[in-house]
Amino acid sequence: MSILEVQHLEKHFGTTQVLSDISFSLEEGQALSIIGSSGSGKTTLLRCLNFLEKPNAGTISVRDEVLFDAADPQTQLESEIRKKRIHFGLVFQNFNLFPQYTALQNVTLARELMARDHDGETKEQIEAAGRDLLAQMGLADRAGHYPHQLSGGQQQRVAIARALALHPDILCFDEPTSALDPELTGEVLRVIRNLAEQKTTMIIVTHEMAFARDVADQVIFMDGGVIVEQGDPHQVIDHPHEERTKQFLSRYAEQ
Amino acid sequence: MFWTVTLSLFKGLGAATQLFFLTLLFALPLGLVVAFGSMSKWQPFRFLLYGQEKPGTVTRTLAALRPIGALTNVIVWIIRGTPLMLQLIIIFYGPGLWFDKNIWAFGSGRMAACTVAFVINYACYFSVIYRGGIEGVPVGQREAGEVLGMTKRQIFFKITLLQMVKRVVPPMSNEIITLVKDTSLARIIAITELIKAGEAFMKSDGITWPLFYTAVYYLIFVGVLTILFNYIERKLSYFR
Repeated sequence: MSILEVQHLEKHFGTTQVLSDISFSLEEGQALSIIGSSGSGKTTLLRCLNFLEKPNAGTISVRDEVLFDAADPQTQLESEIRKKRIHFGLVFQNFNLFPQYTALQNVTLARELMARDHDGETKEQIEAAGRDLLAQMGLADRAGHYPHQLSGGQQQRVAIARALALHPDILCFDEPTSALDPELTGEVLRVIRNLAEQKTTMIIVTHEMAFARDVADQVIFMDGGVIVEQGDPHQVIDHPHEERTKQFLSRYAEQ
Repeated sequence: MFWTVTLSLFKGLGAATQLFFLTLLFALPLGLVVAFGSMSKWQPFRFLLYGQEKPGTVTRTLAALRPIGALTNVIVWIIRGTPLMLQLIIIFYGPGLWFDKNIWAFGSGRMAACTVAFVINYACYFSVIYRGGIEGVPVGQREAGEVLGMTKRQIFFKITLLQMVKRVVPPMSNEIITLVKDTSLARIIAITELIKAGEAFMKSDGITWPLFYTAVYYLIFVGVLTILFNYIERKLSYFR
């Protein structure tokens, strides 16, 4: 049974078609990489999954529950969306940490707000969980630091811990290393690799081809808002069938 | 004589201070309301577009109309576009002149009228500063809150607000220092604030130095505020 099922997703901004007829599924514990040039719709797809954009057509289902159906307004109510979106976690390209909170507070804030509403865990429990997550990211000694006191790589790892804090079913990464200096990408990729080894279900939009091939169980190549090719990473990246995939990858090889 | 003048000016300072704090008390929150009004994206006529293949110009204009935002912007334009002195005169004398009913005919009626005029005027100026502060917070901050399942309220109070406050402190300090000196406009409706108190000695005793002595009061007032604003900026410098 697949954990995520996306069917016939479409998105247009005004008259510009950004996504057309996107369908794919993802098994629990698997990692999916989405590759493609800028403007191919990768990021928009990720933003649709996290309900930051509203698709114009199609459905998104998690564990056989239809979270979003463009044809059914009942699934698009503000309050409903808010509950459903925590099935997904999102790590942004430029971190978007909250500057006025420490690393630990960034990780615990959302869960504390939720516990207040539902009278769930205590503050101590949430904090302990937050410290565990930071330790898992190799940042145990940075819990009290503010974002501006951390390097880009450290900030991105805090952002990953923050996304994990709500135990999302599917963790999404939007070009997690694109805003980083080259020497800092390694530490972030290592963390994502560890998550893949622990069978975290993930969708990773990335420009790091070697990384995509090594970590992913499945690769999607997008161009012009459509899925051109999808399948096993070695097949898509090393032996692509489609002409457009070959062109894209050869441009990468040249760099 | 020096002490007589000093004491008399203190009374003037009292009136100025009262006006200053009353204006801040009401204009600071009202400015936020005006800011949200001017940013309102509510389009009640959007439904006109539904099911229309090629909507006409009128339909499209009407559908794009944001009545609250537009109305607020017109009000801000009028208030910022006319002198505070004129607004003060209209609010104080207007009801008596045009409606034959002086609503300010009570004990501290003059101060009340003055406060109303100042609050409206300053709320409009504050609103523009607030809007700059809110729009200056990157969209990514709101989106990060959204994907963490926070409500709009939580995002505003837990994430945006403090970042906005940090951004608006320097322009706000400017505006609030201007307010100190604008209190001198109150004399137009015969409130004895600092300038009027100082000038009174010119008429009664034929001396001019009390008028210039008022500058010391303003300088000390503004000096205290400057220290306060520096303190707030320092307090908020722990994050960037």
